[in-house]
Amino acid sequence: MTELFHFANLVRAGIRDNQLLWMLVAGFALFPLFTHFADLPFWNDVAMRIMLLGMAAMGLNLVLGYGGMVSFGHAAFIGIGAYCVGISQFFGITNGLFHVFLSIGVCGALGLVIGYLALRTTGIYFIMITLAFAQMLFFLFVSLEQFGGDDGMSIDRADFLVIDLYEPLRLYFLIWVALVLVALGLMFIIRSRFGVTLRAIKSNESRVEAMGLVPLHFKITSYVISAVICGLAGTLFASWQEYVSPDIMHWTRSGEIMIIIILGGLGTLAGPLLGAIVFLLLEEFLPLALGAVAPAYAENWMILFGPLLIMVVLFGRGGLIGLLDKAGFARIGKRKMAVK
Amino acid sequence: MMPDPVLELRGLNKSFGALTATSNLSLTVMPGEIHALIGPNGAGKTTLIQQIYGALKPDSGQVFLNGRDLTGLSVPERIRAGIGRSFQISNVLMDFSALENGIIAEAARLGQSFRFLRPAFSDPNLIKGASAILDRVGLLDRAHLPVGDLAHGDRRMLELALALAASPSLLLLDEPMAGAGPDEGQRMTEIIESLRGRVAILLIEHDMDAVFRLADRLTVLVEGSVIAAGTVAEISQNQAVKSAYLGDED
Amino acid sequence: MTLTLILEQTFNGLQAGVTLFLVAAGLTLILGIMDFVFLAHGAQVMIGAYAAAAITQATGNFFIGLGLAIPITFASGYLLELLIIRHLYRRDHMEQVLATFGLILFFNEAIRVGFGPAALYSDLPPALSGFVEILPETPYPAYRLGVIAVGLVCALGIHLFVSKTRIGAMVRAGANNPEMTAALGINIKILFRLIFATGACLAGVAGMMLGPLTSVQPGMGEPLLILSLVVIIIGGIGSVRGAFIAAIIVGLVDTLGRVFLPSILRLFFEQATADGAGPALASMLVYILMAVVLIFRPTGLFPAKG
Repeated sequence: MTELFHFANLVRAGIRDNQLLWMLVAGFALFPLFTHFADLPFWNDVAMRIMLLGMAAMGLNLVLGYGGMVSFGHAAFIGIGAYCVGISQFFGITNGLFHVFLSIGVCGALGLVIGYLALRTTGIYFIMITLAFAQMLFFLFVSLEQFGGDDGMSIDRADFLVIDLYEPLRLYFLIWVALVLVALGLMFIIRSRFGVTLRAIKSNESRVEAMGLVPLHFKITSYVISAVICGLAGTLFASWQEYVSPDIMHWTRSGEIMIIIILGGLGTLAGPLLGAIVFLLLEEFLPLALGAVAPAYAENWMILFGPLLIMVVLFGRGGLIGLLDKAGFARIGKRKMAVK
Repeated sequence: MMPDPVLELRGLNKSFGALTATSNLSLTVMPGEIHALIGPNGAGKTTLIQQIYGALKPDSGQVFLNGRDLTGLSVPERIRAGIGRSFQISNVLMDFSALENGIIAEAARLGQSFRFLRPAFSDPNLIKGASAILDRVGLLDRAHLPVGDLAHGDRRMLELALALAASPSLLLLDEPMAGAGPDEGQRMTEIIESLRGRVAILLIEHDMDAVFRLADRLTVLVEGSVIAAGTVAEISQNQAVKSAYLGDED
Repeated sequence: MTLTLILEQTFNGLQAGVTLFLVAAGLTLILGIMDFVFLAHGAQVMIGAYAAAAITQATGNFFIGLGLAIPITFASGYLLELLIIRHLYRRDHMEQVLATFGLILFFNEAIRVGFGPAALYSDLPPALSGFVEILPETPYPAYRLGVIAVGLVCALGIHLFVSKTRIGAMVRAGANNPEMTAALGINIKILFRLIFATGACLAGVAGMMLGPLTSVQPGMGEPLLILSLVVIIIGGIGSVRGAFIAAIIVGLVDTLGRVFLPSILRLFFEQATADGAGPALASMLVYILMAVVLIFRPTGLFPAKG
């Protein structure tokens, strides 16, 4: 009972950013209980996909929401993380930990190279360059016939030694643990000296320069971190989908992740995960809604999604978290400033 | 024996196409001195500051800080070498509080900006350092206010505080009184005066009362060239200066 | 590797290049003058292609299709700017990206609803379905020559317009210094709308010309969009001249690279490696070129500003 009381107090006082995040994370931990009793095991699959998308969105949010860098190429890192699994298995390496470390290494290195080349530019140039690099990698994988090319390659769930990922819910909780680690990591990073400096760079780069710091170093570092996080999401995604193809790294997927972030709330800890939930729910229910009204066009539900997105951009600043703030349920936008 | 200058400019030249912004400019700023740079609008004062600061590269000539040639050094490198700068248009971090501004600057000063674990804004060491920075300019009681809510004069104060944060040996003040009312101007003048003897200051300012009160020496810049340099007494007698500048100003 | 093949592929590269130019020209001005990330430019290509193909089908005449599709695409660009785009100028780039992304989703789906997901039938106009001998014994499709001709005429037209007319001077001023241009009292709103509509029109022409060569289907504009972004990066944002030169380079490199790189690789490496790496490298060639340009000229070869 005290938990409920505490929760009600939180809601009345306005939930803070990290509190909302951990509530959502806890919710995901408890979710399989719910699906078990409601006999809806399919929804575990959806929840896994939400967690993975949310993880990738958290990674991108570091550079986009906190760093102010509009990178349009992060789907490439997700894809490379996934292909690390596929290509390793092609060569007979099935160890899951190896996949993870390979993904971290490759995505980190690639993030460093692309980050260095792209971050010397700003504004529209930066957006276009990240987009172009992502497409370059897309075409690379399309043309690699030995790894399936356009058709992609099927994947066995990775072998994590003691953990058999084919047992029910093992993969679910592996993903959940990764989500927790990423969320923890980001929570620390955002509040650390590095994180506040990164946020300062987004606010006013020349002021940070005037403090004797080199903004580029911070940007590249955050870019590499975000690349690694997206790569991790991709690596786990490969095991979840048991399949990988270049489509996973098409530039429109980068757009999807950005949409998720803005739906939830840019530059917040809980926003990306919240946005992933909203996005996937929309994906499930918009077709149903359209089907009820105009059955012949149920397939074309995207035609609603486009204008919806435009509306969110024009009128829905701050995403869902912004709405919660306005309604008084959350106190995330009005950040408590440091006091003496 | 004359001490070595903190700042020495030798023969700086800078042109933008046909426009000459800086012409064979030399000057020195001695330790602890308040050296004012005055001249009509468009004389090239801010361009000169940019060249000392490192944001603009001179076509020729050299900038020496404490005897060290700064040629080729980037802005952050020059800051770390001992330059502090306040900007003409307030250049503080608007999305943070005054104290948070100070904390970020303090972390930078301590070389700790690349740490990932402990929260910065609640760190007692950083708060102590940042509070000291704000106290110097009398902003301590408004430390927790978001900068966006601060009055204009307070923002100029914060600007100055951040410039002082790393204990520079040379302070570049680009029109610190800009847009300040009479009270704020007075406050700013007092604080700058309290710095005399402790840090070398190159001051650009149009407020002549403040200039005559603060300046140990003056350099008068017209169309990129130095037309006169000396003490306040010497300059106010100088005919050329009077006609070129002081005569047109109030 | 015969002379015929090289010549044929060079002309193909030119054709690809001028097509890219038509798409990139409008986009580079939108990016440079309005500082607006217009991702949905590919949709303009698609609209032009569909308009031309549908009218051609209805009237049986390709040139009527072309002639009517041009004002249609101009109008669509004009309306788009008037209704939606102009509200987004003040927004930051990420919001522009997301909003135009939403536009892409909407247009692709709308086309799917209107014309179905399958490709639309679009054939070569009978007048241009033959071959022309560009050199003795070297036949080349007349239609592709037509495309090259149209592209070059458009390029010349744009060049004359921008350098000789008063409006062109305003456009140049806008590319060089948007704030100053507005301060000079030039009616920025109408100027922007016209630039936008003209850009849409040019992109539409590219789509119309491409119709008989590729398939007219939803999403056909996106690959062109990406490539034209590469062109603009290489050429420099805001520079139509840069877009032209870069587009020709990109068109040639991409076409010739795909055809000849595997063969060239076979000279240095063994068959298996060359056949494996060849296509991969060829598809990345343009991007590698972009990366190289970026290392030495981060703002492109002919930046419009400063």
